[in-house]
Amino acid sequence: MCWRRVGINCLMLLVVLPLYLMLQGTSWEQRVEVRRTSPTGYTLPAAFSRVLAMGYQGLLSDYEFLRAMTFYGDRSVKQQQMSTEDWDFFAYSLDVVTDLDPYFLDPYVLGEGLLTWDTQRYEAANTLLRKGMQYRTWDWQLPYYIGFNHFYFLRDSATGSDYMMQAAEIPGSPGFLKTLAARLAYYGGKSQTGVLFLQQMLAETNSEALRQRMGKRLLALQGAVQIEDALQQYRNAEGADPQALSELARSGYLEELPQDPYGGQWVILQNGRVYSTSKFVDVKSENQVN
Amino acid sequence: MLQRVWALAMVTCKEGIRDRSLYGVLLFALFVLGLNVAVAGFFMRDLGKVTVDMNLAALSFAGLLLVFFIGINLMAKDIDKKTIQLVLSKPFSRGEYIFGKYFGLVLLVLSTMALLLVFSSATVAGVHSMYPAYFEGFSWSVFFWAVAFIALQLALLCAIVVFFSAITTSSFITLIFSMATYLVGVTLEEVLFYLKSQAAAGEVVASESLRSVLEVVAWLVPNFAAFDLKTEAAHGLALEPLRLLTTAGYGFSYILLLLWLATLIFRRREFN
Repeated sequence: MCWRRVGINCLMLLVVLPLYLMLQGTSWEQRVEVRRTSPTGYTLPAAFSRVLAMGYQGLLSDYEFLRAMTFYGDRSVKQQQMSTEDWDFFAYSLDVVTDLDPYFLDPYVLGEGLLTWDTQRYEAANTLLRKGMQYRTWDWQLPYYIGFNHFYFLRDSATGSDYMMQAAEIPGSPGFLKTLAARLAYYGGKSQTGVLFLQQMLAETNSEALRQRMGKRLLALQGAVQIEDALQQYRNAEGADPQALSELARSGYLEELPQDPYGGQWVILQNGRVYSTSKFVDVKSENQVN
Repeated sequence: MLQRVWALAMVTCKEGIRDRSLYGVLLFALFVLGLNVAVAGFFMRDLGKVTVDMNLAALSFAGLLLVFFIGINLMAKDIDKKTIQLVLSKPFSRGEYIFGKYFGLVLLVLSTMALLLVFSSATVAGVHSMYPAYFEGFSWSVFFWAVAFIALQLALLCAIVVFFSAITTSSFITLIFSMATYLVGVTLEEVLFYLKSQAAAGEVVASESLRSVLEVVAWLVPNFAAFDLKTEAAHGLALEPLRLLTTAGYGFSYILLLLWLATLIFRRREFN
C-alpha cells in the first residue's frame, strides 16, 4: 500500500509534472503561431452584445476596446501589415464599442489616430466622431478632430472651419482653437496643419505606444514642413520648381535634406505639397510582408 | 410584531455571515478591484470610466453571487431540511416569517455591500490619485447613487428569491426560477427597444405576437435595466431627481407586492 503511494507520487513528480511543464510551454508557443495566422477576429453586432452583456455594457465595451487595441498592437509589434479585412474588423469593433457605451472617449481618439493616418478611411472616422458628438456634447475634441480631418485630409476648409468653430464654442475648450481655425484655413492641406494637430494630440495622450507612433509621424511632418518652406523660398527666388528636391540643399535653401524617419524618399506632389514615398508608414515592414 | 420580524431578520443575517462562501464572494470582489488598478493603465484617456465600470461591476456581481448562492440557501434550507416546522411552532405568523426572512437577506446584502463599498471607494480614490488628469467627468455623488441603485436591485432580487421559496419545494428550483427571472428582467428592455426600433424602421425581424408577449412579460418581470446607473456613474452624467424617484418607487412597490403575494401563498401552504 505504502509502496504504491510512493510509486504514484514519483510518477506524478517525475513524469506527469515535467510533461505538464513541457506541454504548457509548447501550447503557448503554438498559440502565438495560431494567433498570427488566424483570420481576422469577429465582433458581435451591438444589437446582440448589448443584450448579452446582461447589464454590464460598460464593462463589455472596455473589454471589446482592449481587444481591438491588442489586435492592432499585435500586428504592429510583429510588423505585420493590416489587411483590408483587418481594418474592417478594427473599424467595426470601434463602432460596436461606441454602441455599447457611446460616451467612451478612447475609441473615438483611437479611431481618429488610426483610421485616418493609417488607412485613409476619413469618412468612417468622421462618422464615428459624429456619433460621439451626439453624446459627448461637452467635449470639444470630437468636432475638433472632424474639423482637422476636413482641413488636412479632405481639403474642405469650409466644412473644417464650421467644425472648428463648433469646437471653439463649447465651454472649456482651449482658447487657441479660434486662432487655430484661421491658421489651419491658411495652411489647408499643407504639412504644417498636420504638425499643429499632432503636437496637440501628443500633449494629451498617455499611451506610450501611441506617443511613439505619433512622435515619429510628427518628426516626418516637421521634415516635410522644412522642405515645403525651402521650396516656397526657391519658388519665390527662381520663379519655378526645382528639378529635384536635392537641388534645394545644393543651392543653399536647406542645409541638408531632412531624413524621412519611415525611410522613404521625398517627392513633390502635384498640389505643391511635399510628401514621402513611404507615405509615413514603415516601408521596411511592408517589404517584409510582401 | 416588529420585534419578532427584527429578531428573525437578525438570526437570518447572522446565519448568512457564518456561511464560508461569503468570504469567497468577498475575495472575488477584492480580486476584481485589484485587477482594476492593474488594468487601468492599459487605456488611453478614459481611465475614470474604466475604473468606475470595473468597480460597479465587481459590486453588483458580488451581490448577485451573494443572493443566488447564499441567499437562496438561507431561505430554502428551512423548507428543504424541514427546520421550518421548528420555526413555525414558535409564536410567529406566516407573514412575519416571510418578512423576517426577507429583511434578514436584505440586511446581509446591505452589510456586505457597505463593506465592499469601503474597499471600492478606496480603489477609485487610489486610481484617481494615480491618474488625476484622466478623471475629468467623475463625480462621487453619481457613483454613490449608482451603488445605492445596485443595492435596490439586489433587494428586489431578494424579494424574488423569497417569493419563489414560498411557492416551490426545493432550493434548486428556486435558484433556477430566480436566475431566469433575473436574466429576463435584465435583458428585456434591450430586446423590446430593439424590436420597436426595427418595427419603426420598417424591418420585420420578429412577429407582432412575440412583441406583445414580451410586453406582457414586462408587466410581470421587473425591469432590472431601469436600476442600472453604471453608464451615468462612469461618465459623471447628471441624474434627474424625478427619474431616481420614479425608479426607487417602482422598485419598492414591486418588492412590497411580491412579499404580499408570497405571504398569501405561504399562508395556505402545508408542510409535511
